[in-house]
Amino acid sequence: MPTANITTNVRRVNGASVIDIVGEVNAAADEALSAAFNEASQDGVKVIVMNFTGLEYMNSSGIGVLVTLLIRAQRNKQKLRAYGLSDHYKQIFALTRLDEAIGIYDSEAEAVSEP
Amino acid sequence: MASITSRWRRKDKDKDQSAVSTAAIEPVSPQMVVEVINIDVDIAPTDPLLAYFQESANPVELSRLNLQSPALDELRAAGVAVVVPLVSQGELIGLVNLGQRLSEQEYSTDDRKLLNDLSTQAAPAVRVAQLVRQQQIEARNRERLEQELRVARLIQQTLLPKSLPELADFSLAAYYQPARQVGGDFYDFHYFDDGRIGLVVGDVTDKGVPAALVMATTRTLLRSAAERLESPGAVLERVNDLLVEDIPPKMFVTCLYALLDPKTGRLQFANAGHDLPYVRTAGGVHEMRATGMPLGLLGGMGYEEREITLKPGDMVLFYSDGIAEAHSPTGDMFGFPRMHALMENYPGDPDLVRFVLDQLGDFTGPGWDQEDDVTMVTLAYRQQAAAGMRAVEPGWEILAEFEVPSAVGNERIAMERVAQIATDTPLAADRVERLKTAVAEATMNAMEHGNKYRADIPVRVRVCRSEVALSVTITDQGGGQFVREAETPDIDAKLAGLQSPRGWGLFLIQNMVDEMRVTSDDLHHTVELIMNLQ
Repeated sequence: MPTANITTNVRRVNGASVIDIVGEVNAAADEALSAAFNEASQDGVKVIVMNFTGLEYMNSSGIGVLVTLLIRAQRNKQKLRAYGLSDHYKQIFALTRLDEAIGIYDSEAEAVSEP
Repeated sequence: MASITSRWRRKDKDKDQSAVSTAAIEPVSPQMVVEVINIDVDIAPTDPLLAYFQESANPVELSRLNLQSPALDELRAAGVAVVVPLVSQGELIGLVNLGQRLSEQEYSTDDRKLLNDLSTQAAPAVRVAQLVRQQQIEARNRERLEQELRVARLIQQTLLPKSLPELADFSLAAYYQPARQVGGDFYDFHYFDDGRIGLVVGDVTDKGVPAALVMATTRTLLRSAAERLESPGAVLERVNDLLVEDIPPKMFVTCLYALLDPKTGRLQFANAGHDLPYVRTAGGVHEMRATGMPLGLLGGMGYEEREITLKPGDMVLFYSDGIAEAHSPTGDMFGFPRMHALMENYPGDPDLVRFVLDQLGDFTGPGWDQEDDVTMVTLAYRQQAAAGMRAVEPGWEILAEFEVPSAVGNERIAMERVAQIATDTPLAADRVERLKTAVAEATMNAMEHGNKYRADIPVRVRVCRSEVALSVTITDQGGGQFVREAETPDIDAKLAGLQSPRGWGLFLIQNMVDEMRVTSDDLHHTVELIMNLQ
């Protein structure tokens, strides 16, 4: 089985949850991201922000994992947001139209303060 | 003439005129009683009687002879009184034996003259009859030999492979030219489910039908042993043990068995006393040496097993002794040093078989009476088609070529190496990032879909550049399957649960690079990623 090369940390900022992601977002990251998402969703939190500042590598399988998180978020009527993406990954989010469903922000402050 | 068989025969009773030394005697009248006796007397070559008859121009009355001769005693005991030697051109070709006259009187001078005349006239006629008969026998023998050769040739040609293995990275060629007498050469190919190919080149001692039959048996034994046994050494050991029980005495089989894995270039081989194949690599020409006794001589023999790994551009020549042992008009033998030199001097064109035949032809001269079968099998690892990749086109330079084992996560290795190389080109940083993603995705696809994540099957990556573009080719061994991702990914469909959340790979690749080309053959699948540099 693939070994995950990712660490996650969940913080509460202004009533939103921030998931700090460090490492690789690929198929192996599924379990870690799913657990972080559950943690972030506790107490009925409606805004979940993924911090990609520490992202080293994301591949198509990782995008697949994000899509499954997105499906869960939509089911829970949660908003999934992201910041800290490099231009390259912003491009990929645009290409895949993930950016239409995941709000992309330049900073954490913007991501958590948006209603 | 070691043996002379004489018979009296009644012509009217026995129409057979074919006996070599038959003299026929007509009864003088129907009332006369003629006793017909078959006398089979062997006259030894050393018997003085033979020389006596040979010298004698006249009928010989045995009662007058005083010789120490076993044959003389036998003739007398059989009641022979007079022998008329039939001599033609100084050669004793037969005897007319007569018993006592019925009147029991001595043979008169007239009788003797009559017999003498008879022998003088009969001898040339008998001689002619003998020669005709001899020619008929020889013609029949020749016909029988020709027929045998036809049968031998038929057996061999029927059992030689009708086609050659077709491999993406290797080209094989085979040549077989039987000698007039048809030796026992053979070659064969075994096909295994995992793509490996068994190559056999062998030679049965002896010629003609016996050799062809032993060849047929050996070929079948090899095939069935190869089906159940993995290693060439074990295959030869098994065949030897089976063959030893059935092979006629004084016959044996030399045989080389090699097992090629086209995916890796690994060539395992074992040798039962056959001529050593030559391998030509970038490092020179070498004999492929492995020791072992010929098949069919002694049971319980072990066969050394060796292996080499062929690289693109390498070639191997398997052959039979009909080449090395060919003679020039002045009696020189072609020999192994010439074989070695020939492999070194081979210019790469025309094909190796043609080249060997041309060299051999120059050596033996025109009108060569081929002494033995000539057999060759050549194996060449294609230079240009290495790893199923296209040849590098003019104007392109290879910057790097490497392999990545098909294991989860290894796409990052390919990605980082390509990134390192791409950074030294005029490709802009953001476009390097795009290429990295494309390389990672293509490598993942290759490892997963092409190589099924089998770590022993690597993904091959080649980075090339020209004046205007950078190209990365990524090749796996999943040829023959064309549909990799069935549907175009759509985020709305995925969010609605109508599509798998996955399946972004090919879509990403296509959008990351300036051009993507996909080529596939039976064995390989290659994705080429192109980034323009201008």
